[in-house]
Amino acid sequence: MFRLAIKNLTQNKTRLIVSVGGLGLALTLVLFFGAIFDGAMSRLTVYIDNAGADVWVSQDGVRTMHMSASFLPASVTDEVERVPGVKEAVPVLYATDMIQANGKEYISYVFGVPDNAPLGRPGGIVEGAAMPGPGEVIIDHSIAASAGLKVGDEVAVLGQQMKIAGFTSDTSSLVSSVSVVRFEDFAKARGGNQAISFVLVKVSPGESPAVVASRISDSVSGVTVQTRQQFASQERKLVKDMSADIINIMNIAGFLTGLAVVALTVYIATIARRKEYGVLKAMGVRNRLLYLVVLTQALLSVALGLAAGVAITLLLSGLIPRFNESMVLTLSFGSLLRVAVVSVFIAGLAALLPARQLAGLEPVAIIRRG
Amino acid sequence: MNANGLHVDHLTKRFGSGDTEVVAVRDVSLEVAPAEVVLIMGPSGSGKSTLLLMLGGLLKPTEGTISLNSLVLSDLSESRLPDVRLRNFGFIFQDFNLLSALNVQDNVAIAAELTGVGRKAALEKAATLLTELGLSHRLHFAPEKLSGGEKQRVAIARALVNDPALLLADEPTANLDSSHGHETMRLLREIANEKGRSVVIVSHDERIKGIADRVLWLEDGQFKDMVAMATDPVCGMALEREKAVTADRDGATFYFCSRGCRLEFLAGSEEFARSEAKAKV
Repeated sequence: MFRLAIKNLTQNKTRLIVSVGGLGLALTLVLFFGAIFDGAMSRLTVYIDNAGADVWVSQDGVRTMHMSASFLPASVTDEVERVPGVKEAVPVLYATDMIQANGKEYISYVFGVPDNAPLGRPGGIVEGAAMPGPGEVIIDHSIAASAGLKVGDEVAVLGQQMKIAGFTSDTSSLVSSVSVVRFEDFAKARGGNQAISFVLVKVSPGESPAVVASRISDSVSGVTVQTRQQFASQERKLVKDMSADIINIMNIAGFLTGLAVVALTVYIATIARRKEYGVLKAMGVRNRLLYLVVLTQALLSVALGLAAGVAITLLLSGLIPRFNESMVLTLSFGSLLRVAVVSVFIAGLAALLPARQLAGLEPVAIIRRG
Repeated sequence: MNANGLHVDHLTKRFGSGDTEVVAVRDVSLEVAPAEVVLIMGPSGSGKSTLLLMLGGLLKPTEGTISLNSLVLSDLSESRLPDVRLRNFGFIFQDFNLLSALNVQDNVAIAAELTGVGRKAALEKAATLLTELGLSHRLHFAPEKLSGGEKQRVAIARALVNDPALLLADEPTANLDSSHGHETMRLLREIANEKGRSVVIVSHDERIKGIADRVLWLEDGQFKDMVAMATDPVCGMALEREKAVTADRDGATFYFCSRGCRLEFLAGSEEFARSEAKAKV
């Protein structure tokens, strides 16, 4: 009967292409948006991941960079430095700002990092200086590519005109990018305020970041202390929660479209062979075997549609970043597994209606007349 | 009574109840021995198909018993009937009803596979049968590429592949031209003789009477004595001469199922007479 299912599915090539193509496009929609989201998420915490800090200290209650502001007294850095197990403690300033250049604006996470700081330096320099000098900024290469900038050009950051000292790569996403200026320039732009945003901590060799974080938390008042992983995880969770509704709507739309396409084509294929199924029933084939034929057809359609969807998404993942550096597509195993599981569910649902048709099919109707 | 073969005892089938009750088959008894070919004829609505459906375990009788080789079909539960149909009956339909997605050999093999025969053995069995029926050169053809006669031979091979005790054929020649119709009937006759199968055919086709061991006339759900029969030259329907509309031409009497056929005949009587003469040649 498995052979019959395959033959039934492949006999009408047009119907097969419509079914697999339609489902493939619907699943591509789901996979594509998932990949864009995962890609953006992977870039979201790129500074946190690569700043070299094992522990992040922020204002009490502040657990993310996004949608929050952290203000700490500058003295906190010294307090943190005195905690056993702390090797380095570096204060950084942070703000979300618009970088303006050539009439265009780009959202950026701007960090102010002290000269010669062992932590918090910009990573992935592809051109120019490794650290900004006075009145300089290091920005992501995608902004330069978009606005037609080169090292030495000026951009507006934090309300100041600053000269581009260098470019980083892989530090931008669809939602933002990372820019780094000197700590002093950042502080001056804020009116000379002595507050800092975060203290980046490197723990001594052999020390556990979690244990040191706990010690800092016990020793320094008015702070929230998180390991790098905790801080990055909180950041991702916040953005994920903010985007969840949109992502879910896109997923549901994609899955429903796929379900409609498969259900319709399997249903039509079953109705078109109603008489043949009736003959099989007359011969003595039980309903459950016929259900299996229909379910196999639906599963095969879904498997082919999923393969088409994955292939298209992988193709787009390779092509799109060539045209837009900020648009990174990451097809994660988790996302693929989720779509595969839902696809199997779609196949089951799509087979329900035809199975109902078969259950009610009377073989007697095949032998006509009275 | 010989336990082998088909035994039908006082079979009745009623549909509906009260004022709307219709008795499709009324107290019918019948025995078909192995290797016997029985042709059941009768007008439309006479109950032929209802009887055939009951014989094939597709419809439960209201009263009476049906047994095949000591297996009492009418006592079996609905859940057992599919398996019994698969192993004991071979169905041949008017429209051939082959599975369009499968090739000729697979169409036959699938019936064997359904009984648990392995794929290789099923394919071999199918090839042997199809070769016996003169279709060795068509094994891998799609059904749509076959002529009507070839399709019906594939259907016969499919009906035979599980070595059923009884073949049930519903209007097997209705969609075939005269020569293919005769060929199909000759095959059924041979199968009955050589393989010892009981064959029950339901048909309107007068031309096939010659190959049957017995011809039964079913009317109003009951078997009646065979009466003088004729064929309507316009629609080809088998008719009781006594009840038919008639017309005389050139000293011959023609019989019609209705006044419409008679009028049509009279309007083009020469054409019908020519085709009649041609058919006789």
